[in-house]
Amino acid sequence: MNFILLLFPSLLSALLAYLVRPYRVIIGWANAGLSLVSLGAALAFAASILAGSEAPTFGPSELLRADSLSALLMVSVAAVATLALFFSPGLGRESQYDVAQLRRYHVFVNLFIFAMLLAVSANNVGIMWVAVEATTIFSAMVIPLALTKESVEASWKYIIISSVGITLAFVGTVLAYFDFVALSGRTDNALNWPVLLSAAPRLHPEVMRLAFVFLLVGFGTKAGIAPMHTWLPDAHSEAPSPLSAMMSGVLLAVALYAITRWKVVVDAALGPAFSNQLLLLLGLFSVLVAAFSLVIQRNYKRMLAYSSIEHTGLICIGLGLGPLGVFAAFLHLVCHTAAKSMLFLLSGEVLHRYRSTELERVSGLLKVMPWTGALFMGGVLAIVGLPPFGLFISEFALIRAGFATGRPGLMAAVLALLAVGFVALLRHANRMLYGAPPQGITMGEGGRWRMAPLFVSVSVLVVLGLTLPAPLEALLNQVVKVVAK
Amino acid sequence: MNVALFSQLSTLGSSVVLLFGIVLLCRRSLRAYIEAFRWQSLVQTALFVVVGHFGDAPELYVVAVVFFALKVVFIPRYLERLAKGVGAEPESQPYVNITSSLVIAALLVLLAYAVMRPLVLTSQLPTRGGLPLAMGLIFVGLFIVITRKKALTQVVGFLVLENGIALMAVLGTFGIPLIVELGVFLDVMMGFLVMQVFVYHIHGTFESIDVEQLNQLRH
Repeated sequence: MNFILLLFPSLLSALLAYLVRPYRVIIGWANAGLSLVSLGAALAFAASILAGSEAPTFGPSELLRADSLSALLMVSVAAVATLALFFSPGLGRESQYDVAQLRRYHVFVNLFIFAMLLAVSANNVGIMWVAVEATTIFSAMVIPLALTKESVEASWKYIIISSVGITLAFVGTVLAYFDFVALSGRTDNALNWPVLLSAAPRLHPEVMRLAFVFLLVGFGTKAGIAPMHTWLPDAHSEAPSPLSAMMSGVLLAVALYAITRWKVVVDAALGPAFSNQLLLLLGLFSVLVAAFSLVIQRNYKRMLAYSSIEHTGLICIGLGLGPLGVFAAFLHLVCHTAAKSMLFLLSGEVLHRYRSTELERVSGLLKVMPWTGALFMGGVLAIVGLPPFGLFISEFALIRAGFATGRPGLMAAVLALLAVGFVALLRHANRMLYGAPPQGITMGEGGRWRMAPLFVSVSVLVVLGLTLPAPLEALLNQVVKVVAK
Repeated sequence: MNVALFSQLSTLGSSVVLLFGIVLLCRRSLRAYIEAFRWQSLVQTALFVVVGHFGDAPELYVVAVVFFALKVVFIPRYLERLAKGVGAEPESQPYVNITSSLVIAALLVLLAYAVMRPLVLTSQLPTRGGLPLAMGLIFVGLFIVITRKKALTQVVGFLVLENGIALMAVLGTFGIPLIVELGVFLDVMMGFLVMQVFVYHIHGTFESIDVEQLNQLRH
């Protein structure tokens, strides 16, 4: 029942948006309202896990399943989706987009949300793959909402690179299934994660090693892990802002979730050393690429996109550092989701006012739009890892996990690269927030209540920076139990 | 059941499927690309039926029917219409020329044999001889996507890559569970439809489907 409440609202929203033509603002609000139902269902899953229930399943041959890891991701996805949908009705103001474009936007964005929720609640890893692939298709439809050369280019690169990448993940899935079938014969639920996991210790290590490389490259492409990240800055910067918020905030997390699921299976077959080393290597490389790309940025949306690559890298490093690192990685994932989705939504407001994504065209943001500016400043301070925001705590925990597992060299490198990113981001943000506003720009906020939902994001970040709430800590501990035994 | 015959048929079928993938590399015109893809899919459909028959996997007949409808009838026809709509620009100057492409394809197939060695050694399946060929096709498909410059030829490369994976799934496991297989077909179809929308977009905004001009976004 709960699964239906989780998945159905986004499908219903897509259907509503499809049926009502021409698009009306009321549809946008209806979609936002329906997304609250999904969010409620996701929270109910988290609550039932905390109350000690075993992972509930649903459907023929246990198609859907929600353990602690799924529940954490469900809440993140549903929360960011709600936030983004509450911002979506505003997309239509001042005829930024026409009604046909808005209709298309609402149809595909809701399908995109559905695919993400399905990916994190699927029990069958084949279905998980199908859902992750579907996220690419649906989100690509929304990127070139206004057909400009830039957005068409970004969406083409996105769909080609991501589709090819994700296809490689399917090779990995087939290889693992191949090995399973060779051992235990063909059964219908063989791709169900718990079945796969219980068979894993008997799988052939050499086959699983090959499978994991394919899976990591494949899902890593979607997660924005360098060197497969090349599509990400284009797609995230050209997409309409609520979509950017979801892509940066949770789509990357969903791909990391898929990697984590497979890591558990592969670790059971091989021991954790192999996957950990790969994750540490690619994670460090991602942080490296992102840090230096941040320095040379001239576009604030691309700046935020590269920062997402940096944080994806950090999460990978955390995943490769054993139980302490896994705890830090998922805390980091939650904090990054809250911070980055807020920043992308704000960047939409900035873009709307300044009519440019160039850093040099944006100045005096704090004077022009005091609330937007203040929130933007808060968000940037959060993503560079300053207290009192949650990312400070999670990065600290991550570094500590690194030292505890005896990798001081790696941690020194990470800290140095974080410092590079820190300086670059603050320099760019400084230039946007202060200085003289450009001549002839309208002063004052766009809408009186538009910013209100974002105060939830800020409070989440501050609360996580000051204390770790007991329910979240319990849930994260459960996740660690699932991921790193 | 005749295991030797099954083994020979599956290896032969996979070789032909791979050959059509390599034939693509030495063609320039879009029509030739589409034609090679159609033949490849047709042979692959036959191979699915063979595996379904000898391997005692009746679901594969369903898969074969959907595969035939999608990849022999629907997609090639759509591609042809698309080619008419945007003008069939030939692949006159790919990033890697045809002679080098063929040499690289040969190396990729060798690489596939090296990569799949552990699998072939652990397997008892009569179809194991075809597994490296399927992996070879995956590599060749990847190579086509990377080195071809027209949006439409990239799409065909992607479809070839998909064929390679379907081939591997059928040879290695006699078909993944049907529900997953159907999900994959749905994804392929939607992915293809979205890509063809984008081909029109690229044609509309850039007045050509050469992806080399997609260079507005830097850093």
